[in-house]
Amino acid sequence: MADAHATDAHDADDHKPSFFVRWFFSTNHKDIGTLYLIFAIIAGIIGGAMSGLMRIELAEPGVTFLTMFSGGDPDAAANFYNVLITYHGLIMIFFMVMPAMIGGFGNWFVPIMIGAPDMAFPRMNNISFWLYGASGVLITLSMFAPGYGSNIGFGGGWVLYPPLSSNTGSPGPAMDLLILSLHLAGASSILGAINFITTIFNMRAPGMTLHKMPLFAWAVLVTAFLLVLSLPVLAGAITMLLTDRNFGTSFFDAAGGGDPILYQHLFWFFGHPEVYILILPGFGIISHIVSTFSKKPIFGYLGMAYAMVAIGFVGFIVWAHHMYTVGLSVNMKAYFVAATMVIAVPTGIKIFSWIATMWGGSIEFKTPMLWAIGFIFLFTVGGVTGVVLANAGIDHYMHDTYYVVAHFHYVLSLGAVFAIFAGWYYWFAKMTGKMYREWLGALHFWVMFVGVNLIFFPQHFLGLQGMPRRYVDYPEAFAYWNYWSTVGYGITILGMGIFLIAMIDAFFIYRKKAPANPWGEGATTLEWTLPSPPPFHQFNELPRFDKGDVKAF
Amino acid sequence: MKKITAAFLGLGALCAGTAVAQMTPGGIGMQPPNSALAEEVHWFHNILLMPIITAISLFVLALLLWIVFRYNSKSNPTPRKFSHNTMIEIVWTVIPILILLAIALPSFELLYKEDVIPDGKQIVAQGDGQTIDFVFPNDFDERRRVARAGHLNVIIDDGSERRTLKNRKDFRVDGFGETNMVVSLNEPPARGERVIIRGGRNVNHRGEVEMAPTVTIKAIGFQWGWRHAYPDFGDFEVSSLMAAEDQTTPELYRLEVDNRILVPVGETIRITTTATDVIHAWAMPVFAVKVDAVPGRINETWFNADREGVYYGQCSEICGIKHSFMPIAVEVVSRPAFEAWVDEQRAFAGLEPMFETDNVKLADASPADAAAAE
Repeated sequence: MADAHATDAHDADDHKPSFFVRWFFSTNHKDIGTLYLIFAIIAGIIGGAMSGLMRIELAEPGVTFLTMFSGGDPDAAANFYNVLITYHGLIMIFFMVMPAMIGGFGNWFVPIMIGAPDMAFPRMNNISFWLYGASGVLITLSMFAPGYGSNIGFGGGWVLYPPLSSNTGSPGPAMDLLILSLHLAGASSILGAINFITTIFNMRAPGMTLHKMPLFAWAVLVTAFLLVLSLPVLAGAITMLLTDRNFGTSFFDAAGGGDPILYQHLFWFFGHPEVYILILPGFGIISHIVSTFSKKPIFGYLGMAYAMVAIGFVGFIVWAHHMYTVGLSVNMKAYFVAATMVIAVPTGIKIFSWIATMWGGSIEFKTPMLWAIGFIFLFTVGGVTGVVLANAGIDHYMHDTYYVVAHFHYVLSLGAVFAIFAGWYYWFAKMTGKMYREWLGALHFWVMFVGVNLIFFPQHFLGLQGMPRRYVDYPEAFAYWNYWSTVGYGITILGMGIFLIAMIDAFFIYRKKAPANPWGEGATTLEWTLPSPPPFHQFNELPRFDKGDVKAF
Repeated sequence: MKKITAAFLGLGALCAGTAVAQMTPGGIGMQPPNSALAEEVHWFHNILLMPIITAISLFVLALLLWIVFRYNSKSNPTPRKFSHNTMIEIVWTVIPILILLAIALPSFELLYKEDVIPDGKQIVAQGDGQTIDFVFPNDFDERRRVARAGHLNVIIDDGSERRTLKNRKDFRVDGFGETNMVVSLNEPPARGERVIIRGGRNVNHRGEVEMAPTVTIKAIGFQWGWRHAYPDFGDFEVSSLMAAEDQTTPELYRLEVDNRILVPVGETIRITTTATDVIHAWAMPVFAVKVDAVPGRINETWFNADREGVYYGQCSEICGIKHSFMPIAVEVVSRPAFEAWVDEQRAFAGLEPMFETDNVKLADASPADAAAAE
């Protein structure tokens, strides 16, 4: 899409490679970022369609809808439902949020924000992306390979707990393909994370100390460390699973002296940092947007940066709060209760610092700001239910109910995804060189806001009433709120339709050229000093922060 | 077995009213508690946590609305430029810490009550109108010994009613924390009255010492159903599979099973879980109980039901295609009805009766129970 705007580039040396070389052998951080975003959009459409199938099935009791895909066989339909929950989770986490936030916005804006011409290892950046592509192919194959008996796909939840994911519960090749897919996605993320850490540590513009670095770069830096430290543990766990399945080991097989709970410890040692991997870049994006549209500097910049570091650190020592019912000793649970609650403190600092940033500001409620304010409130709601769930004494009631589903969708679907939309509208002009129509963006926000709340708020009620998660069918008593939750999905899809229209409008109808800085005085980071879209290679002459005349933030 | 199944399913239909009351169609709160511990879980959630999280959410919402109203670019054209305020930063760090401490302390207490299986025991002595000193053998493990008045219930039972005595006012205790404790009553219990002394560390919110389990049930999860073994009563097994749609009411479909398990009311029941294939989870929300059933491991939990009735739970760890269709049904009955049922199950398993079940006892039991024990 940037091809059409080659003439926008101010730089005389801005000759781009041919189409194939540019997009398939790409070493340019912005092009790779664009590829990641396209990848994330495709994955988001697939993952979102899966949630639609699930919500329609759950609209009323009885297995009534998915049987249409299974030739009327209720067992195959139930298997399909389990496959949907599994791949919805994996696709949204690994193929939508991570590529969008880290691969997409991270690649696009971290080098620009720190005043670097590109990433430290441009070719490694390329292989990171294409490993993701290969990983996407494998997970797609896995969905159509036999899992349990003649049923296709692996239907055991994104956590892949053995023995359900070992030969006992899913003997077919679907699970093996899934493991290999995650290996590739993990390798891709590790390479990407190494690239970000190297870039941020070595390629900041002269004078830009870490304490002057924009918060999005801080967020990606912390995220990259989480990736590097946690993904190898996942890789280890799923490799052990792979050898259990294929080579006769019994790491997780009790009959051979192994322990299924060992897998859960390893998985959640990765899995808990993973949820911060999903949200931390969003924190960075929200900080920029709140500051820009309030026309005020970030309140408590250092506190904001180190709150993210603290969240990242504590994120590594709370993993077993996902495992309160597996039979841990009571003292161990007590420790994980205490450690988990600690996270609320830095998270609270972030929420209140955003509010303080807005306080006294002169706020313009442009679309990105709407998403950001929506994020702050909904993330708070998701955060406080997290404090409830942190208490093992009550988690024995809530665990694996819809309360948990509501909680993590509030922080991810209404948190991370709102942050992605906020970032999308915020940087859309910068990335494409075009403006979107403001009222369409606002309409998209309001319809989505109503829709997602209607999906997920009633799920708190279902959870309190005791409805277990990952159920294709449920007793009559749960019908009422499930129905409304499905109605909420309909509204959300309407919102996504408006998004599609807003984008088609921006590219083909509205076609308004974006200025270098459409947001005015509040937008102070380096990307707004470049034309929209930025030239193919930016900063041939490095911006300097050591002369005292420019502020990074 | 067929007959008893039919009787149970008939009972299920009778009890439909009470049973679905456990979940309220369109309800927004937790299922009504049926044990002292579950009441405490409710207190913790409904009285402590819910108001706190609601207040925090509304506070953040109010701040945001005020900002939207007061600091929009029309109302406030010139932004202020501050970016630090040490005082407010300390405040929003310290106050959340205090709130978390206020949550954590009751949270730990609740957790330990849930996770430590009660080991309370009682002695029963006959009053003779003279004796005032009663010995309570405090022979627990050192860390579980009765160490203060809160760990002790002294009850006088005159045959028709029970009254709980108050420490200091009605009795005195010598030797807290030592291996033999002497409870000295101020007034000697009369002839015909019984003195019941209960001691233990697991004390519920009503101040009652929870007794050690009298029934242990081993719940074995499999794809897709539960087997429940009663090792204290000859290790007979009850297999519970979901009742078919035409064998139960629409309200109870997907909750009802072909064979419920029975437990006596007012006694501590220990549930141990394991599984034969993949991980399952044994859940019973009215008792606030949920514990995973993991192959190769034994987990345990406990409950002490307040009221008789039929209560339902559902498998709570994804376990494959029929994960949604392996419910758990517990029928809480009186002690005589339970004993009659145990003897019947023993008969099915080819064992001699364990209890002297006579007609008087059965008459005490509810008619439905009698039908079940038929």
